Amino acid sequence: MTSPISGRQPQAVRSALRILEEVATAGVGVTAKEISAALRIPPATTYRLLNLLVAEEYLVRLPDLGGFALGRRSANLAPAPLTAPTAARAVMHRLRERVRWGAHLVAFDRHRLLFLDPDPDHPPTDADELSRHLHASGLGRLLLAEGELPDAPLTRLTPHTVVDRDELGVALAEVRRTGLARQCGEFHAALGCLAVAIRAPGDGRLVAGLALTGPAERVAAPNTELVALLREQVGELAPLLA
Amino acid sequence: MTRIPGLRSRSPVAGLDRRTLRPLGVFAQSVATTAPAGAMASTPLLVIAVAGGGALWSFAVAAVVVALVAACIAVFARRMAAAGGLYSFTAKGLGPTGAYACAVSMVVGYGMLVAAAFSGASWYGSALVARLGAGTGPVALVGAGLVVALAGTVAVCAIRGIRLVGRVMLVIEALSIGLILVVLVALAVTTAPATPEPVAGTPGGVGGIAVGVLPALAAFIGFDSAASLGVEARRPFASVPRAITATAAVTAVLYLVATLLLMGTAGAGGASATAPTAGDLSWASVLMDVGIVASFSACALAALTTLVRVLFSLAREGVAPAALGRTHRRFLTPAFAVVVAVPVLAVVAAAGGLVGVAPAAVFGGLLSVATLGFLAAYLLVCLAAPRFLARIGELTRGLVVTSVLAVAALVATLVVVVLNAGAGLLITVAGLVVVGVGGWLVLRRRRASALRGMGVYDETTTADVLGAGDR
Repeated sequence: MTSPISGRQPQAVRSALRILEEVATAGVGVTAKEISAALRIPPATTYRLLNLLVAEEYLVRLPDLGGFALGRRSANLAPAPLTAPTAARAVMHRLRERVRWGAHLVAFDRHRLLFLDPDPDHPPTDADELSRHLHASGLGRLLLAEGELPDAPLTRLTPHTVVDRDELGVALAEVRRTGLARQCGEFHAALGCLAVAIRAPGDGRLVAGLALTGPAERVAAPNTELVALLREQVGELAPLLA
Repeated sequence: MTRIPGLRSRSPVAGLDRRTLRPLGVFAQSVATTAPAGAMASTPLLVIAVAGGGALWSFAVAAVVVALVAACIAVFARRMAAAGGLYSFTAKGLGPTGAYACAVSMVVGYGMLVAAAFSGASWYGSALVARLGAGTGPVALVGAGLVVALAGTVAVCAIRGIRLVGRVMLVIEALSIGLILVVLVALAVTTAPATPEPVAGTPGGVGGIAVGVLPALAAFIGFDSAASLGVEARRPFASVPRAITATAAVTAVLYLVATLLLMGTAGAGGASATAPTAGDLSWASVLMDVGIVASFSACALAALTTLVRVLFSLAREGVAPAALGRTHRRFLTPAFAVVVAVPVLAVVAAAGGLVGVAPAAVFGGLLSVATLGFLAAYLLVCLAAPRFLARIGELTRGLVVTSVLAVAALVATLVVVVLNAGAGLLITVAGLVVVGVGGWLVLRRRRASALRGMGVYDETTTADVLGAGDR
């Protein structure tokens, strides 16, 4: 049985935090023995606390099962402030003056979307909601096109949502080819969006996405000029965000 | 962004419903496989029959052995999340030979447990039908019909997934335990207390206590089954070891209470080794039978849930046919393994009754083979635990002591089993060993690399590590 650490055991809490910090500074792959030696915490205590931190997902064990690394949950301890640089905001401001649709700038953090500069006049859907249903939004598809489809079932949000994996695969191949994701009435029945990928100029990494949202039937039109405008903005935004 | 060597972007057990099952569902899986309601009603009588007044001690010893085994299993469950449960663990300590032996033991153990649960449910179920409907067709056919109906239901539930049925299993089990406790208390209150004596011709005393440990231990088998939900549990490193130790503790208390109550009941020592069907308490025996049937049904489902995950894991490693590793697209369960396993086990369970063997004998036979499988798997995982910890440099003295004690107790139990086994059981076990060794030789010639790769588990992927690559 794991012994629960109550608030009356400050030493255990202190040791756990020191272990967390040690893994962060020692780097990926540090072993339990090394941690125990570096912090002068008895081995049995170290192992127990490490297992606790792994169970809580602040740490993870590497595939060799002997080495440790910081888990994704540790990111919650020091959330990176995510705001767009002033220059990027200025670009967005100019774009909003030229189009009537909602214009949003989002950052991609692995499997999540984070709004860098949402359109104040057209409040977008909640970022967590978008992150949960990546298959149904233009911005989500930019992200999905980078990797593999998730194993989880695809939720049908509206009658138009593409939930067939093969059909979605074709759509994602199109996104990869053109760098443009289009979605009409798949998230909200009346709305649609055009989304363009913003890549780091150096390594081509997907860092952000620029989206225009508007009425579904208008999004379905070719919108050649709008797409050209979007691509032009992306060219300006990419060096500012990477 | 750092690239970390050895880190994959996709788990080798992808395809299951990863990290979604709540802790209660994980706990339900272990409890349901152990089937405490059914075991409470029958096992204490078996133990009292050989140990007499020492039955409590037999259960206490068995509980200590189970606690030691649980501690060894928890060593792995806190460090890796696997679909194959004990055999995936064993692979990390004893290598492919141990893993293969453990996998065979688990397939036999869980497979026979499913069959035993089918036959147990049909045995008590047909008795119930006979009592309520009185003479509807031949008993053997009713029994076989019940097996088929139960097998179909269980197969559908297993494909639909554990998230749906986990809570149902826990409710069924809690109700059955409640029913049986009520009946046992009623029996104890309505009959005059008497000190039970061991049945004539059995040892009693210290020897009796030792012999009583085996049936007592058999009542615990399956408490480890939460380990096979490692991939699907939401926070596996916390919930799986907790479910295993909690199940061992809760069932130990239930068995001790049931034994205590039965020992206060007159004539329990001489009762037949089945359910205490008290003539003067007919309402009680009906209730009890309902509880036992429900408990066996939940056990069949839970044991099947583990069995198909073991087969799935073996298939993903390439040791078993790849088709068994296919998962259902929508429900994300090893559906193909369910479709293959259930008919085979249903035939095993139904065949004995149709040929004319008494249901008690079919049930007892299947359960003894299952128990042997489980004991062998527990022995291997206890041997593997210290070697695994030494390999990753986290060995402690306490665990070495735990492992040595557990191994000694399990070896002693296995020796007692083999010495006291009937010819039928010995022949069955010998046959299974021959098939197992034959399979090993074939695999070593045809799929040596698959054998070396045994022990796949839900590895940490790039997505789990903070700051490791893009995907």
